[in-house]
Amino acid sequence: MFCRVKTQSRTVIPRWAMILLAGAWITVYSSQGWSELESMNDAELSEVDGAGLGIVLEAFKFSHGTDVPDASGDQARIFKIGGITSTDGRDVDITVNHLYISGSGSNYGRNLGPVNLGRLINPYRIDVVDGNTIGVADKAVLEFAAPAMVNPAQGFDCISASAVLGSGSCSSRPATTDYIGERPDVGLQMNVAVGDDRSANINIHAVSAVIDGSYLRLWGDNDRRQMVGQFKLNFYSPELSIHACDQSGESCGSRVLLKDFALELAIGNELQPVFFDVDGAGNFVVEVAAIQQPATGEIGADGLRGSSAPATWDFYEDYYTNPNYRSNLRIGNFSVSDRDFGSMRVEGMLIQHLEIRTRDLAP
Amino acid sequence: MTTNAPAIVSLLICAVALSLPGQATAELKRLDDQALGDVSGQGGIYLSGDVSINELGGPIENSYFGGCDDTTRKCGARFAYRLKENGGWMVLDDIRGNFAFEGLTLRVRTIDSGFGGDGELFKRDVLELGLPNTVRFNDVRFKIAASSTARPTDPGFRQTDIFSVGMQGEVVMEGNLLVFPAGNP
Repeated sequence: MFCRVKTQSRTVIPRWAMILLAGAWITVYSSQGWSELESMNDAELSEVDGAGLGIVLEAFKFSHGTDVPDASGDQARIFKIGGITSTDGRDVDITVNHLYISGSGSNYGRNLGPVNLGRLINPYRIDVVDGNTIGVADKAVLEFAAPAMVNPAQGFDCISASAVLGSGSCSSRPATTDYIGERPDVGLQMNVAVGDDRSANINIHAVSAVIDGSYLRLWGDNDRRQMVGQFKLNFYSPELSIHACDQSGESCGSRVLLKDFALELAIGNELQPVFFDVDGAGNFVVEVAAIQQPATGEIGADGLRGSSAPATWDFYEDYYTNPNYRSNLRIGNFSVSDRDFGSMRVEGMLIQHLEIRTRDLAP
Repeated sequence: MTTNAPAIVSLLICAVALSLPGQATAELKRLDDQALGDVSGQGGIYLSGDVSINELGGPIENSYFGGCDDTTRKCGARFAYRLKENGGWMVLDDIRGNFAFEGLTLRVRTIDSGFGGDGELFKRDVLELGLPNTVRFNDVRFKIAASSTARPTDPGFRQTDIFSVGMQGEVVMEGNLLVFPAGNP
């Protein structure tokens, strides 16, 4: 059946039309026949499990961008981000030339192919989680999660595009000759115009990207009466390239290549969640509150457990040693054009206090 | 009250078409539980859509909202939500434009093969939403903003527009979205 309904928000459907529609619906469904409903006893009901939603994208491909104007100046596709002002008051206009999610071997977005996102046995999940299982006491937590990390015996190396089973803790598999894999090529090519100056291009491409183990958890804080969250972003790619050449990037000599790129970013944890708010002047505020200071005498002068209140000492010991609270950035090799700068590691970053507040520069 | 006659007519045509299951009318017989137990759902839904949001302007006319030909006022829809008791509001503002798609499909599918070997392990039913390959955007715009009050006409209104997005043309969106129960009980 093919129904094309054109609606506008101005449209107010008269009540008689609604009744007619509802009537037609009931007529159709009542003619299908009824099956008897039986009540379940307590034992049967206790077997019922509520579960979250698993989401997998099969043979997925996404592409949007901005086309070069034709002879008459018309553009078939436009994708613009605007409304930003530079510090000297000029309008900043970002033209997104190409944004894509594609299968591997896309050659920087030129040959788009399909890719699976998430595995049927380890999908993307939207779930309401019991907070007690993840360290958020007595709360129901809404969780959006990428495929979870797995036991290294059942997983694949997170970075290598030719990883085999048992090589690492990522669940998503790289593409092989007979399977499209679960690691997409993603890219964003954009032109940033400040006022009339259209010279700035920024093109970012990630090959065989993996975000396994990432999640966003949201819940409510009773004391502050506010939405709080916890954000973990894992991003692995064997090759992340950034260049600022022309839009096509065909004749680009100074590509910045980040080989074997791994970012594990943790913003907020069970003890210091992220708070989201808008202040009275209409500015967006993101805050990670500082952890409470120990009271005098709770931690001994020598800082050892023996001279301190044990529970307090254990609390701070856990806070400063738990690797889940820390962010890491590792780059296997950093190169610009034909120059290699070697590898880089920033490990064990702990956010102790963070406050980001947007400001309106308009007069 | 404003009405849109073509929209009502097309809705009615759909309603009438839905209520006529076939060309000929045959006698309906009641199925017993046993017979019903053998019936399995087949087929699915094929949808084409054309959605316009405030293409020419919304229904409200006041000091802030107005027609799209009036450059001093905003004609898009506004959606505000608050993250803190007595706090400010996050706003999706000036939402307008038109998007259309053909061939969005919805069906239940049994997966027991494929997916690089995962299909055989999975062996269950999923809800499959077949993406329409391309979605046509016609001057779709919206702004992300933060505001001191829910409505722009409330006293003390102040707003910071963080950024705006404009989209036009055909967006490639291929593949199938598979949805199934998973996760923690």
